[in-house]
Parts: sequence; structure tokens; C-alpha cells
Amino acid sequence: MTDPSTDPPRPNRRLRQRLDRLATGVIAASGIGVVVAVLAIGVYLTLAVLPLFDGAEVEVDTAPSAADDGTMHAVWLADDGTRWLTREGQLRDAEGEIATLAAGATITTVAEAGQAQPLALGLSNGEVRLVPRDDQGRLRWTQAATLRLFEARSVAALTLRHAAQGWVLAGRDTQGEVAALWHTAETTRRIAVPETAEHIALGYAGRLAMTQGTQLTLWQLSPDGGGGTSLARTETRAPITALSFLQGGRTLIVGDANGGLHRWRLSPDDTGWQAAETSYTALGDAAIRRLIALPRQRLWLALDDSGRLGLYQSLSGQRWHGQAPEATPPTAVSVNAQGTQVMWLGATGTPQRLAIEAAHAAVSPATLWMPQTYEGHSDAEWRWAAAVTGDEEPQYSLVPLAWGTLKAAAWAMVFAVPLALGAAVHSACYMSRRQRARLKPAIELMEALPGVVIGFVAGLFVAPFVERHLAGTLALFVCVPLGSVACGWLWRMFSRRMELRLPPISAGVGLIVPLALLCWAALSLSPWLEAWWFGGDLRAWMHQQWGWDYAQRNALIVGMAMGLAIIPTLYSLAEEALSGVPRPLAEGSLALGATRAQTLWRVQLPAAAPGILSAVMIGAGRAVGETMIVLMVTGNTPLMSPSLFEGLRSLAANLAIELPEAAVGGTQYRLLLLGALLLFVFTFVVNTLAEMVRWRLKRRYRRYGGDA
Amino acid sequence: MRMPRLAGDGVWRWLSGACVALSLLAVVALLALVVTRGLAHFWPDDIEQLTLDNGERIAGIARDSEAGERRYFTANRDLDGQVWQWIETQAIETRETPPDLLYAERRDWGPFIGRLTAVDTSAGERLQGDEAERHLRQALAGNAEITTLHLRNVEGRAAEVAFAQVASLSWPNRMDVGDKLAAWGHGVWRFLSEAPSDGNTAGGVWPAIFGTLLMVMLMSLVVTPFGVLAALYLNEVARQGPLTRLVRIAVRNLAGVPSIVYGVFGLGVFVYGLGGRLDSWFFAERLPSPTFGTGGLLWASLTLALLTLPVVIVATEEGLARVPVALREGSLALGATRFETLRRVVVPMALPSMLTGVILAVARAAGEVVPLMLVGVAKLAPEIPVDGEFPYLHLDSKFMHLGYHLFDLGFASRDAEAAMPLVFATATLLVVVIVVLNLTAIILRHHLRARHRALEHS
Repeated sequence: MTDPSTDPPRPNRRLRQRLDRLATGVIAASGIGVVVAVLAIGVYLTLAVLPLFDGAEVEVDTAPSAADDGTMHAVWLADDGTRWLTREGQLRDAEGEIATLAAGATITTVAEAGQAQPLALGLSNGEVRLVPRDDQGRLRWTQAATLRLFEARSVAALTLRHAAQGWVLAGRDTQGEVAALWHTAETTRRIAVPETAEHIALGYAGRLAMTQGTQLTLWQLSPDGGGGTSLARTETRAPITALSFLQGGRTLIVGDANGGLHRWRLSPDDTGWQAAETSYTALGDAAIRRLIALPRQRLWLALDDSGRLGLYQSLSGQRWHGQAPEATPPTAVSVNAQGTQVMWLGATGTPQRLAIEAAHAAVSPATLWMPQTYEGHSDAEWRWAAAVTGDEEPQYSLVPLAWGTLKAAAWAMVFAVPLALGAAVHSACYMSRRQRARLKPAIELMEALPGVVIGFVAGLFVAPFVERHLAGTLALFVCVPLGSVACGWLWRMFSRRMELRLPPISAGVGLIVPLALLCWAALSLSPWLEAWWFGGDLRAWMHQQWGWDYAQRNALIVGMAMGLAIIPTLYSLAEEALSGVPRPLAEGSLALGATRAQTLWRVQLPAAAPGILSAVMIGAGRAVGETMIVLMVTGNTPLMSPSLFEGLRSLAANLAIELPEAAVGGTQYRLLLLGALLLFVFTFVVNTLAEMVRWRLKRRYRRYGGDA
Repeated sequence: MRMPRLAGDGVWRWLSGACVALSLLAVVALLALVVTRGLAHFWPDDIEQLTLDNGERIAGIARDSEAGERRYFTANRDLDGQVWQWIETQAIETRETPPDLLYAERRDWGPFIGRLTAVDTSAGERLQGDEAERHLRQALAGNAEITTLHLRNVEGRAAEVAFAQVASLSWPNRMDVGDKLAAWGHGVWRFLSEAPSDGNTAGGVWPAIFGTLLMVMLMSLVVTPFGVLAALYLNEVARQGPLTRLVRIAVRNLAGVPSIVYGVFGLGVFVYGLGGRLDSWFFAERLPSPTFGTGGLLWASLTLALLTLPVVIVATEEGLARVPVALREGSLALGATRFETLRRVVVPMALPSMLTGVILAVARAAGEVVPLMLVGVAKLAPEIPVDGEFPYLHLDSKFMHLGYHLFDLGFASRDAEAAMPLVFATATLLVVVIVVLNLTAIILRHHLRARHRALEHS
């Protein structure tokens, strides 16, 4: 203590005031800063996810013409518009003519198939000239080769696609005769197709779609030079006017004379089409004139006779529609490798540039949440496979992930809720204050166990163990409750028989050893049980009887592991609610002659019900967001199976697996962030509700004179 | 409150008791499993030499047995292509523990079990038999130099190992309990002090321990001031009303937001946002290879600081709420400003609870793996992020983390089965660290409550 008689040096009063204000300001600023930082999480996630739902856009502007007189008449032009090829076969750029490609004939049609395949020019004398590309995708005009497709008649249409170790080229002459060239590393074979067609399009591995009026034929070309076989013949409702396979060559888009646009998909067993065609929103009722497949995201452009242009995506449908730069069909169209820009040259000779802004066109509410028929599958299904390579179709349904999340959480709750509530009831109603004070730190320690430790023990130790002792594990669920009741009965009999007043030992502690023995007995007896009832192997028996498969890392294990992880949370909150029930309520009930069980069920549990509900909600929030355990214990297969014995993949685990590899800003990246946002919103809402329930309950207890 | 015992009660009493027992049993079993397996890993078990009924000879360490089969750890991945063998107990004709079997841990190819045939000394001599062993013992003690060991397995197949490749070598069958205990201690020490080797399946975890500690320290440097200031604001400065209640609920909720969401936020905002910006301002010459634009120590610490913020705020608020109002009022009445009251009266009294909060935050951060997977943990980063080179502490470098190391060992390593003992050892270490931290917090809080209770009653 300072001696009051010797005045301490008085600090400056103004300085003290200023310091006070400053400190208050700093504290307030950091307090508010923290709150803002917290809000920033939600804001950031929302901002990052929003571009997914931006509409697609096609912007048309006039590209500066490279030709000296401002007009270009061409059958082909480069995707940057600097070079073009005239009907007469002259390759030109701004400087003038570079080369001549079709001596003595004119170019009637052009086909391209991406930056790795040659450019094919169909000539009026029935020949095809092929301009190869080098490793960077640049055309080597001087090395053009000539191949004969038709004897005399002019080539009217060409279609080209890569096939194993080479490419396939199919053409139609002016009379509708169809022939193809199949190029492999060794040879190039000509295939005469015994069909006539108005429109042709090549799919993957030599599947050729041909139309004649309303008839659509799927033909299988063969590389050995035979004519091939017909896979399917279908009648459509209206005469077909345009045809194109999309990226990957497994989806065919068909446009008809009434303006209808339809999707046909090759069936997974390679025998024809998938069951039903799918129709898209039409542009109008004018005939479809041209279909242009873009090289990314299975996007395509449709042009009809009245000059309407539409941008579509294979699964999500129409993304944009508007007016084409010119009403007449273009004479030359080229698309850049990214599929973001289309050069369009029409009859007027002024090149137009179409900028296509559709970064996330494959995402729509329907593709996220509704079942889709994906390429290579025969039925509409919910599937997730966002990380794809090459021309595979990405599958962007969030449903399997949401299902996995909820399934894992639900099983965890099935294990955790009875155990945690039972434990809470026991410690609130049957334990002395001292015993409770000892139990609490143990449970707190349990809460602190990191998920990675629980996950690893469950995934690497428990999962193989349960696989070997499935019958024993399942037997435990019956043995443990029965065994503990039996123990209680024995205890009472014993203490009565022996006329002993045994110390009032808590059932919770007293049961640990008998239960451990019981578990051990059940597990070691299970081989006999299995041999006796299930022919020695429960898993094989289940498969035989019910067709259930057993994956080593499955929902049962994740239920047990995650259950263990959320028990402490549930227990603490439920115990708080139960022990907060005002004592006079329970005492009154007992005084009126109710048994303890009746008091528990009729008075204490109903009074604490909102608190218990909020405990369950918070526990569910935990279970939904728990990542490490699910990641390590489930096998991470995005299945939609309700089976307890199969794996799953949760939203959170999916984030941990895919986010480090996802391209920043891509569709997959943003979808993963959407998953994170869903988790954030879900837990935030659930926790807020639970917190409000708890707060109201506390107020009510206070009214009844409780001490909580 | 003792209530009368009545009939019909029993079932619920014992059923709910079983719930307590089962929960405790599960935790005890889990901890016991992890700790016994983890510590047993360093115990030099006897090596058995088996002769099978088909004449084959096998040497290995017996592990677990099941349905008439026993599993042996036979090591020698370079000779056999495998390190585990299940052997039918009926097929075993003799089991013996010959004293000359040695167990050598190599830096490549994992352990070797077999016998010593010869050693090459640095003088170019080749020593055989007893002399070789004597020389090897001297070399292990650091008193002699050896270049190469010539070993053979029990079947007689030879293997050569450069002496520099040998991490440790022992003859377990000759050791008595004291020797084994010493070897066990040495093994534990090497585990704690060495870097991982052989594709993370052998060696120690020192870089992971250091990485975890450093990250946690940086995190507490950030989280402590902000958490405490936020709690002071909520409890002492802000006007108590619906808004503060809302904020409090929001802060409590944050504790329930999945940790992966924090990881996503850290990746998007810290790594790609801030880090990318920093790179383009200060490290443009190194682009496109990122400096701060990729996961690293700094971003991991900041992300975990955000994650543990609610823990600190809630604990501190609890402490602040327990400081009797009378003390504050007394201080103000004596003429102190609010800041002075806070500094001299309130904060010192709430200090232990703040400490509890920080300890709990540290415990949480030490066990948290998921966000780190997104913001900067590395599978293998043997160089620790502190060295003699400016700026000494490399905030941009990747680091190792015990929890992630555990995940990686168990789920991504080449031979999860062979890495299992090491996984258990790592898990033990992690569990011990977290249990110690939590116990400290629990004890601290217990004393704190007792002290406040005394204060309130006086």
C-alpha cells in the first residue's frame, strides 16, 4: 500500500483522459474489426460463388478486315482472321497471296477438328486436300496431301474427327453418296458406305450419324475398310436440317425444319442411342441452318433461317439467344482453341467477331440438383466428377456430396445421440455433484481429441477390425444394453442376498469393467455366431441374401468414429440443460409420489427438451462440418447409396481433396466454394437457432427459480 | 440431492449408466491403443528365427496373430520385396531366438534383419567373424571407422550396406531389460530429434514438431491481442443491447463453423488474394513461381488465428464476466479512468482466464489439420523455416505439421502397413501434447473458479 501522506506524482489529467479515449478507441476498433473479419468469411464465399450464376453472353463486333479492299470472300479463315482461303484455293493474308491449294478445282467444303487434327478441304473434283499441323497446332500449308474420296462428283460436305492413332474423315457428294477415309499410323483406307445422306456428322471411334429427311441413322465405320454396320435407325418428327456432334463425340445435336433442337446420346453399351432424345428450348419456328460445336464445355451455337442465334450447353440448355451478325448462313466460321471467340464470315465479306462469355455455362440449378443423363450412362443420375481430363464430360451434381454429408452426419447422430443423452441424463439425475465434477474434465478431454487421431484409429485400425468381426460388432449393439441392465439386476440381487449395504457406486463407473468384459466376450464369440447362423461369413451372406456390398471404409465406421467425436459436445450441452431444470420441479414430482423414472420422463426431460434439442442441433452442425474423420474413414466415393456398409463422400471431405488441385476461378473451384458456402450457411443457421433456443430456455428456467 | 430408491427405476439408471461407461470406455480404449502401440514401437523386440515344415527359414518379429496365423515383421524390403509375412502357426517347426541376429535401421529400404558376415574398414581391410562384430561395436560407439557392412539374411542371401546408411544397429536378442530400456529411450529421442527418412516411413518427426510449434506460436501472437481486445470490447466498452447479443451469438457460432470453411477462406483471401497481391508488388521478379501466393507459414498461422478467435473471446469474456462489478465501480469511484480500471483491476483479475483461452486455442490449433491442407502444410519439408539467412524466419516457406504428418503417413504413404508403428508413435505424441495443454487449461480454470468463488463470498 502506498502511504497516503506522501503524494504520488500526479499524472497529467489531460493525458490520462486522452489515453483513456485512445484505449477505448483501439479496443472498439479491434472489437469491431474482429466482427467484420467474421462477416468477411460469408461475404467472401458469396462473392466467389456468384459468378457461377452469371448469365452467358455472346457479343458481336466487326473485326478489322485484313483484306485490302475491306471485303473477304472465303471458305475458311484463321481464328485470328489474318489468313483466309478463297473458293479458288488461294491462301491469302493482308500482303497478298501465299499459296494455291486447289489447282484446277474449287474448294466446296471445309472440315476442322481442333488444334491437333489436319484441316480437310473438299474439292469439286471429288478429292480431299489435307493440310497437316505441327506440334504447336500451326498449319503446314506446303505439306498438304491429296486423297481421293469420290470418283468424279464434287464433295458436298465433310466431317472430321480424331480416332485411335489417327483420324476419320467422312464426306458426302452432291448425289448424297457417303464415303469415308480412316487414317491410322500405317495406312489410310477408303470406306464406301452403302447409304445416301443429306447431312452427316462424325462421332467418336468411327460412329457416323447420317440423315435423310426425317430418318436418322447411326453407322459404325470400321478401320479395316469394310462398309461398316448400321447401329440404329430412327424416325424423327420433322425433317432434319442440321447435325453436329459435340466435344468428345458422344452427344449429337440435331436441328430440324420446325426449329426444334434435340440431343441424342450414344448409349453406354455402344449399340445405338440412349433411350430418349432430349429437346432444348427452341429459337423460333424457322428451320435450323447451322450448328457449330465449340471445343470447350460442350457448348454449341445454333443458327436458324430467320437469323436467330442461340448459345446452348449440352446439359444446362439454352444459355443465350439473340440475332446473328448476318441473317444468311456464314461461308466460313472458325473457333479459337479456348472456345471463347468465333470468327464469322458471311456473304457481305466483312468478318465478324463473336466473343463468347460463358465460363460456367455447364452450371445451372438443374445440373446441380436434378438427375442428369451423363455421357456413358443410360439413366438419369446424380453424379459428381468435377476433375476430368481430356474430353470427358464433367459431372457437376452436388446431390451425392450433400447426400454423403447428411448420411455420415445422420449415422453419427444415431450413435452419438442415445449415448450422449444417456450419459447426460445419468450425470444430471443419478450422479452426485462430486462424481459429476470428476466426469466433466474427462469429457472435456474427449472433446479435445483431434479428429485426425480419431480418424486414423477408425480408418486404419477399427475399419479392418470390423471387417473381420462384423457379426461381433453388430452383436455389440444388442449385448451392451441388455448386458448393462442385467448387471444392474445382478448388483441389486447380490447386495440384497448378501444383506450388504454396498457403497452407492455410480452405475456409470461401475459398468466400465463389466462392459469391457462383455465387449470382449461378444467379439470373441462372434466367429462361432457367424459360423452357426451365417455360414461362416456374414458379409458373403448379406451379399447373397440382400445384395448388399461391404466396403471396408463405410458409413458404419464413420458413424461410430464421428459419433465419438460429437458425443462430448452433445453431452455438455444436454447436461447443462438437464441440470439447469429447477429443482423444485423434480422435488415436487417425487413428493407427489412419482418414481424417479416417471419424474425423469414426465418432468425433467420435457422441461429440458428445448435445451436437448439445441444440443442435438449443434451436434448435427458439428457432424456436418467434420472433415478429417470423414476423409479418413469413408473411402470418399461419391455414391448415392443408402447402405450402412458402403462408402460416401461429404462436401467437406470433397473440399479437402479437390480444392488444392482445382484451377483458381474455374467452374470446379467455384463449385467447391459453393460447397463451402453451403456448409457455412447450414452451420450458421443451425447454430443460431440452437443458440436462440438455449437463450429462451435459460430465461424460462430463471422464471421458475432455477439456478442456471 | 439424494432421492429415495424406488422400484422400476433400475432399467433407466443402468441404461444411462451404460452410456457413460461406454463413452468413457471408448475414449480410454482409444487412448490406450494409441499410446501402447506408439510407445511399443521403440521397444527392441526379440527377433525370432523360424524353421517351417517346408524347410524355409524366416526371421522376424512376431506382431499379431489371428485364426491360426501369426504375422511377422520380416523387414528386408530389398531382398524379399515385402516386410510382412503371415505364417501358419502349424507350419512352424522350430522357434528360436539366436543371439547373433541383428536389427539394422537403414536410411533407404527400411530395416534389415539378419547376420553380420564382414565389415570393410576405412583402411580397406575386410574383417570377418568376431573381429568384425567387435569393430562394428567400436564404430557404433564412434571409436572406429567402417565403410561397408556385409550382411546376410537367415536364408544366406547377402546384402551390402554402406555404414553411413545405417541409422541404428542392435542385437535385440542379446539385450537384457536394462539394455532394452536404454535402447527404447534412445529410440524415443531419435524419433523426437531426427528428420523423417525413407519416404517418411522411417526416422523422426523433428521438423513436424518444430513446424507445429512455430505455427502455433505465430498464431497465438495474432490471436491473443485480437481475441482479448474483442472480448474487452464486447464486455466492457460496447453498450449491452440486442446488437451485442447478436454479435455474441455470431462469435459463438463461429466456433461451430467447420474448419474446412476457414481453410477455404484462408486459401481464397490470404493465399490467392493477399499473397498474390504481395507477390505482384514485391516479388514480381520471381513470378510466375509464387512467393507468398502459395500456402505458407504466415497464411497458415493467420487462418488458424481466425479459427481459434472464438475460443479466446469466449474464455476471456467468461473471465471478465466473473470480475465483480463492485471492484470496477470502486476503481471508477476512486477517480480512475475506464482504461486505468481495465488495466489495473479488470484485466489482471481476468488474466488467468485469458491464459486458459489461449491454451485452449493452442490445443485446438495443434490438432487441426484440415485448414492446413489448403493453406501451406507440406508432406515433406526437412528444412525448418528458421535459419541463419536473412530474414531468419521464413514466413513464406511451407512447413510440416504433426497432424498432417499423421494423415500423410497413414493414408498417403507407399507402405501404410510398414508405417503403422510410426503413425501410432506420431499419434501418441500429438495426443500427449494436446492432453497436456488441455489439462493445464482445465486445472487453471478450476483454480480460477475457486478463487473467484472465494472472492465473491468474502
